[in-house]
Parts: sequence; C-alpha cells; structure tokens
Amino acid sequence: MTVSDVRLRSQAAASGRRRPRALGRRIQRPGVYFALPAIVLFAIFFAYPLVSSLWQSLTATSAGVTRFVGLDQYVRLFADPLIGKSLFNAGILLVIQVPLMMALAVGLAYLLNQSWLRFRSGFRVLHFLPAVTTLVAYSVVFRVMLATDGGAINQMIGLVGIAPVDWLNNETWARVALIASITWRWTGYNMVIILAGLQAIPAELYEAARMDGAGRWTIFSKIVIPQLRPVLLFTGITSTIGALQLFDENFILTGGGPSDATLTPVLYLYKVGFRQFDFGYASAIAWLLVALTALIAFVQFRITREKS
Amino acid sequence: MTDTVAARPASTPLSPQPGRPSALSTDDAPNAPWGPRLLRGIRHLPVYLVLAVGSIVSLIPFLWMIIASTHRTSELFGTPLPLLPGGELMENLARLQAETNFGRVMVNSLGLAVAYTVFSSIVSMMAGYGLAKFRFRGRGVVLGLILVTMMIPMQVLLVPLFQMMASLGWIDSYQAVILPFVASAFGIFLMRQSFLDFPDSLIESARIDGANEFRTFYRIVLPVARPQIAALVIYTFMTQWNAFIWPLLMLNTEDKYTVPVALNTMIGLSRIDYSGLMLGSLIATLPLLVLFLIFQRQFIAGLLGGAVKG
Amino acid sequence: MKLSRFLLPTATLAAVALLSGCAAGGAGAGKPAATLDSAAKVSGEITVWSWDTAAAGLKRLGAEYQKSHPGTTVNVVDVGYDNAYDKLSVGLQAGSGLPDVVTIETDRAPGYISEFPNGFADLTPVLGDKKADFDPSKWSAGSNADGKLMVAPWDSGTVALFYRSDYLADAGVDPASLNTWDDLVAAGEKIKKATGHTLMSIDVSSGFTFAMMLQQQGQGLFDSDGKIAITSPESVKALTLLKEMNDKGLIKNVKGWDGRVTATKDGDSAVHPEAVWWIGTLTSEMPELAGKFGVVPLPAFTEGGARTSNNGGSNLAIPAQAKNPDLAASFISYALADADNQVSLMKNEGLFPSYLPALKNGFFQQADPYFGGQKVYQLFAQETANIPSITVTSDNAKALDIVANAVVASVINGDDPKKTLDNAAKQIATATGRKIAD
Repeated sequence: MTVSDVRLRSQAAASGRRRPRALGRRIQRPGVYFALPAIVLFAIFFAYPLVSSLWQSLTATSAGVTRFVGLDQYVRLFADPLIGKSLFNAGILLVIQVPLMMALAVGLAYLLNQSWLRFRSGFRVLHFLPAVTTLVAYSVVFRVMLATDGGAINQMIGLVGIAPVDWLNNETWARVALIASITWRWTGYNMVIILAGLQAIPAELYEAARMDGAGRWTIFSKIVIPQLRPVLLFTGITSTIGALQLFDENFILTGGGPSDATLTPVLYLYKVGFRQFDFGYASAIAWLLVALTALIAFVQFRITREKS
Repeated sequence: MTDTVAARPASTPLSPQPGRPSALSTDDAPNAPWGPRLLRGIRHLPVYLVLAVGSIVSLIPFLWMIIASTHRTSELFGTPLPLLPGGELMENLARLQAETNFGRVMVNSLGLAVAYTVFSSIVSMMAGYGLAKFRFRGRGVVLGLILVTMMIPMQVLLVPLFQMMASLGWIDSYQAVILPFVASAFGIFLMRQSFLDFPDSLIESARIDGANEFRTFYRIVLPVARPQIAALVIYTFMTQWNAFIWPLLMLNTEDKYTVPVALNTMIGLSRIDYSGLMLGSLIATLPLLVLFLIFQRQFIAGLLGGAVKG
Repeated sequence: MKLSRFLLPTATLAAVALLSGCAAGGAGAGKPAATLDSAAKVSGEITVWSWDTAAAGLKRLGAEYQKSHPGTTVNVVDVGYDNAYDKLSVGLQAGSGLPDVVTIETDRAPGYISEFPNGFADLTPVLGDKKADFDPSKWSAGSNADGKLMVAPWDSGTVALFYRSDYLADAGVDPASLNTWDDLVAAGEKIKKATGHTLMSIDVSSGFTFAMMLQQQGQGLFDSDGKIAITSPESVKALTLLKEMNDKGLIKNVKGWDGRVTATKDGDSAVHPEAVWWIGTLTSEMPELAGKFGVVPLPAFTEGGARTSNNGGSNLAIPAQAKNPDLAASFISYALADADNQVSLMKNEGLFPSYLPALKNGFFQQADPYFGGQKVYQLFAQETANIPSITVTSDNAKALDIVANAVVASVINGDDPKKTLDNAAKQIATATGRKIAD
C-alpha cells in the first residue's frame, strides 16, 4: 500500500458522510491530554514567577523600601541611554551573527549529507564539540586566547604577518570577538538539528524530482528548503531569541565592555537587578525584551508561512 | 536508488548511472575522458577541505584546554606559550579531586541529567504532538504562552522562583534543580515542528484501524521521528548537564554540587586555577560526547528499520 | 466538555493562591535580625559560606573552635567566589536561603548594607568595644548610616608600590626617592629611556587605578553627603595624571586579572601599585622572579599626604535570617578579633589582617627573601592604620561603570579630563538621581 493509496482512502471515507461537529471535536480533544503535563508544569512553575516579575516591574526599591510606582520604570526605559545601546548591540547580533551562523549550519549540514562522504561521523562530532563545552571553560579559554599580548589568536595571525589586535579593549573588535565566539559555539549544534531534518526528507521526493529532470539547484530550492522549513524556522527562532537574550558569553568574555560595546539587554538587566538591586527596573527591562522578541518572532512566523 | 543517507548506509556501492548526475551530490562529471573516479575525487576535495577547516576551528580551543590540563597554571602565561602537552596531568587530576570531589560531582550531574532528560523529553514529545496534530480549542493560546515563556530572560524569574522553592522547603534539594524546568519551551517547540510534517493520513489510517491515540503516537509517529527525538535527547541532556545559575542558587552542600557549579568554584577571588578548571571541563565533555555518538548510531539504525517506505 | 478551557486558568489561580503567602514575604523586606548577645551561651550548629583560601582558613579555624567549644559544629562551605554574590543577592531579596555567616568583600559591603538595611545583624554588641583595634577604613566601610557595624573587617587590601629593583637599578632610580607621583612620572621617563620598559601595566577599563588614587586622596566616588564627587579637583588631578602617563607612553593597558599576571610575569613594566595580597600571586605564580622585587609606599599626591590606599579585602557578616546568630557572632569574634588566629590566617592563607594588634606579631617583622630580604610585611602593617576612610554608597557599582568609561575616554582616547568627568557626573546624576557636589 502506498502513501497515496492511504490518502485516497481516508478522503473517500470523509467525503462519504458529513461528520457531526461533536465527533470532530472529540477527535481533537486528545491533543489537550497530550499537552496536559506541559501545561500543568508551566502553570505551576511559571505562572507565579511571571506574575511576580510583572508586579515587580511596577515597583521601585531603594534602601530596602519598595513602593508602587505604576509605569515609572517603563518610562525610565525610554530615557535610559544604555537601553538603546544594549538594544543596538543585540540588533547587531541579530543582523550579523544569526544569518552568518544559519548559513554556515545549513551549508555544513548540506555537505555532511553528501552520500559519498567519508568520516561523516567524525566530522559531525568534531563540529558538535564546541556546543558541548561548559560555558565557564570556553569563555575563559577564549578570553585567554584573545589576550592582546601573547594570546593564541594574536600569535597565530602574527604568523601570517598581521599586527596584533587589541580584541577585548577595542569596541569594534570586541564585538567581532563576541560574534566569533558565539558562532564558534553554536554552529555545529544547529548543524546537527538541520542535518536531522535533511535526513528525514523522504527519498521518494528526490527520486521524483530527478525523474522530472530537475537539476541540483532546483532540487535544493524547491524540495530541500521547503521540506526543511519547520526545522529552519525552529533554529531560526531559537537563534534569534538566543541573540536577543545573549548573556552567558559576553558576561564572562567582556563583562559588557569595553564602554558597553558588548552590553546586551539581559546582561544590563542582570547588572541592574543583581549589582544595583533594582529588581523593579530589571523586570521592566525584561518585559520590554519579551515584547520585542514576540514581535520579531511573530514576523518570522508570518514571513515563513507566506512563502509556502 | 537514492543519494541521501536517510535511505541507505554510506557503505553500499552507490555509483550513479552513467550520464545521470545524482540529485544532491556534487558529482557532476562522470563522463570525463580520464575516468569518472579521479575527477570525482578532485571535485570532492574542496568539500573535504571546508569540513577540515571547520573541524580544526572547532578544535583549537580544545587544544589549549589539553595543554592547560597538563601543565601547572603558573607555566601557562608568559611567552612563549607552551605548545605541547606537559606532564602535570596526574597532579592536576589529584588536586581537582581533592578540591572539588570531582568524581562525586560527575555522578551528581549524570544522575540529574538522566532524570531530567527522561521527564523532559516525555513531556516535550507529548506536548509537541498534541500541539502539532490536534486542533483543540485554546491551542493557539497555549502555543503562544509557551513561546512567551521561551522569550522571558531567565534572570528575571530567578528571585520569584527561588522564593517559591524556599517556601516549599526545597532549597538544597535535587527536585528543585530539575522540576521547574521539566516543561521546556524549546523542547516542545522542536517536537512540534518535527511532527507538523508527519503525514496525517498515517494517523488517520491507524485510527480507522482502531488504535487508540496513545498507541498511534507510540507505535506509528515516534519511530519515524527518531532523528528529531535524538536531537531532542541530546539537547535536553546537554541543557541540564551544562545548567549553571539555577543549580548554583539551589545547591548549598558541596557534595551535591553539579559539574559547572563545582568547576566555577575554581575561579577564585584573585586567581583562577586554569589547569584544574580546564582538566575538569575536558572530563565534563566526555559524557556529552558519548551520548552524542550513541545517538548518532541510534537514529540511523532507526531510520533503516522503520522509515516510511514507499 | 470544556475541560481544556478551564484548565489553564484554574491551575494558574491555584498556583498563585497557594504561593501568594510567600509573595508577601519576599521583595527585600523580611524580619529584622535578632539582637546579638555577646554573653550568650553558644551551642548547636552554624553554616559559613566563603571561597578559596578564605574558606580553607575558616575550615581550619572552625575545627579548632569546635574543640575549644564543645557542643558546637561549624560547617564551612566553599561556594566559590565568582557567583557567591548571586546567591547572596537572591537570598537577601527572597528573605531565605542564606547561612549563618557570609563573606562579603569590602567594596561590595556598603551596597548590600544600604539596600538591605534589615538584611544583617548588628554586630556592635559583640565587637563594638574593639573598634580602635581595627583598620579604620574597613570599620567605616562596614558600618551603616547609624554607625552600627554590619560586617566585620577581615583581611586588608593595603596598597603599596611594588617595583622591579633590577629595572630601577639599571636606570639609576632610587626607590626611596619616589615620594610623589610627579617623582614617579619623572622616574618612569628615565626608566623608559634606559631600559625600554613601561612604568605600569594596568587595566585602564576597570577604573580601579583611578578609584585607588581617589581613595588615596581621601575621597570616594561620592562625598559624605552622598553627592557625586568626581568633579572635584582631586578627581581631575588623578585622571590628568593617568592621561599624562599614557601620553608619555608610560602605561601598558592590559585586560583583566590574566592580563596583569602575564604582564608581570613577562616583566613588561617597572612598578605596580597593588594591594598586599599581590604578594601571594607573585610567590606562587612567578617564583622565577624571586629577588627582583621591592616595595615602597605609594607616592603621595602632595607632600605629607597619604601614601596608601585600599584595594580589596573581605568581611564576615551574619544575615538576619541566620538560624543561630549567637554562635555565628562568637565564631566571627574568634576568627577576626583574635591576634593569634589572624596571624595563623596570614601564615597559612596569606590573608593580611586588618586587626591591628595582630600586626604586632613577630611574623610581620621578618625579612622576605622574595623581596631581596626586605621586611615587606612591616611596611604594609605600618600603612594599614593610615588607610584613608571614604564614603561608599549603594550606587557605587553603577557609578564605577560610568567612571570606568570616562577613564578610558580620557586616558586612551585623549578627551579632556575635566570635561569627561563633568559628563560622567551628569550621567551618574541621571542614572541615580543624586546631585553633583560643587
């Protein structure tokens, strides 16, 4: 029995009689039960913190006294130059780092999917390795490697005659270093997910396309990319959220500097909350970020849906 | 005959028919006069080159970690950098164990990661399936809310969540470390995207044949999604293994520490024990590597066995 | 059946209702601490959080304390330095989760004291009578606005000038002649000409050297009224000095702790203004440089001015939520206000006492071969009592970030120091709502 046979049979069955509404709903209801554990867990462990952080964003604390201040903390967001700066930095990541990493991940996955390739496992493991290091270790290693004097990176580029770069003390280079370290860490990881998506593409589709005489590029754009759409959307959105919420890497690598060149919104809200103890303002920053992220994710959803 | 790994292991002879380039490979000139084999080999070279460069770039920091693990910290700075492994491995290992009880710490992390992976994967698979294949009332809302939780920076939830754990008396307990995050928005989202393209017809036909929903899920849908499930398991395990801030806040007893927390205690006030830190980090990557290797094989085998065949 | 519809809202309400009790209890308030009684009988158990060598020292003293005080147990946990403050901040904010004794550094303590006025126990009943025995700058940094001691002074970060005796000898500079910063700059130029070495390797972007120079002149980022003080003549003097040094090529800008260690190991610069705990780093990480260093007091800004400052050092405090505050207080007193124990912490862990009677111990009179036989500890011991006290407010972290940017702007990018400081002051005013002092 082929896939298409099954499809025909169920369509015939469906068109043969009108389905009562109740029957239709009953078929959909199990969805709730499947999703129930997740819903309950979220309700218990996220509802309270969410509500609490929302409440906190409407308060201000100083010298141990917390007062309700309405939307003051949100108004403060607009006057705070560091908000603009951190959003700008996050924007740079979004516009440069995410597409760069996605292109690399897709390209590498595509290469790894070649049938004639040997050592596929080995390559896959090697590229996945960076994602597997503990954050503390890799940030410390990068910080040491990027040291202006005697750091491994400067020593290596010195071999080809380039003057040492003041990576962590120069605003532009610090951003480059940050983008490089994030890309280094996560490209292989995204590649594995995309590769899984590639490998799940049914063989018949290639067969059919080749029988129709399609060339390499046509197959790639008309079959592979559309089939990969769910996976690409997933990695795209998670990378976007990762870029907007960047904290770990710049926290240890640069501390947000130099001169806030690598300050991201979450790092800023961490400083506000945990160094300056202004949890109300930190919560306001967080919710601003949620709004922005939701907006961008929504746009991404719509764009990818319209393409089909 | 196909060219993707999905359908056949790489070892079967797969030479393309003469005159017909394979759909997805870069083989393009089987008709060259001096033999398809040699030219194919030359065409393959750039690909291997690219992958080799990628591998080297991925490896370089690890090289430094290996060097650091086998030297004394004081030997690591100052020019020129030591380029070959030194002989301090045993001393560093002994010190690592003495200062952080690293063996115990690895066991803690392993237990927590396995438990978390089991629970979280089950929850994610079920929820992803429910949200992908069923159109129940409120589905959009649930999906939206789950996505919103993914967008909230964790840092801002720390204090309220901490308060909740404190009032439950769960501070310094393992359940506090994993329970709040068992429902993972990323995992659910990944599973949902994976199940979206699963042919509805197969589910329909299973229903018509009388299977209940859960059976359908377990027997028909899951086996096909093995690559994605493997990715989910790897992701979930990795997330818990490398989890840092939350276990740090929750665990107050040194014997209960997980690997990242224990390693972080080596970052001292005025000095960092680089050699110990790097050695511990290297050891810490091993379980993740093993997991990755296992699941690579697994999902290929799964595909050969139960893939949708035409 | 509309089960799904009600599910989410019901679960949410249940969760919120169930836990709303702790919502009221959180957010930084919390009950005030019990009043300590120095004469109380001590028993039971306490947990102490610390890090690194400090934790090792407390473990050792804890064992001895248990021997001399039967019926007590002292658990010392090494929580690691790097994120000990996250645990502390969250614990103070949530009102629970903290142990009986915590370690807090001197520059962080004022922030916690002012943000959590009810967060710690008042230590005056237990240590108040010993005020004159402690480094005055640490006592004042550890007290709240009412003069009550909230955190107990532990080790000191007395600052002096470490120098490479070989570089100075090669350039014909006499270390005893470095009495003012102007003397030092002139010497720096001589050294550069003669040996090619820079004068100092510092991390300009951290702002620490600037803050240290301010404290040396008796000033902090804020004045005693809590107003922003960085537009003062002293501030301009300090920043101009740094800028001048960089313009003359006397400063090597390095990044972070590793940068400073590497620079010292490589022998890049001739001097290094740093705290007493730097000795530990030198002896353990650069044993090959033994015999090449010496120490003199910091050059003064004006003749007769202070020749030291503070950088670092820790304190011990008792959170208000401690379960056994009296035992905690007794242990703190045992560890910090006892000359013999302070000397043992110095001998074994390299923690320089701020408890002045301890500094009279013969240990501090020894000649140190690493420094060519100089009695370095004696120098630091003498200077500890001279550290100028300054005002540290809850906005110090915020202000230091802004000031650090200003330091970079002026020293590295060449902006005019007075203008940069005025701008920075305005930024701090906007960010904190405080006024600028005139």
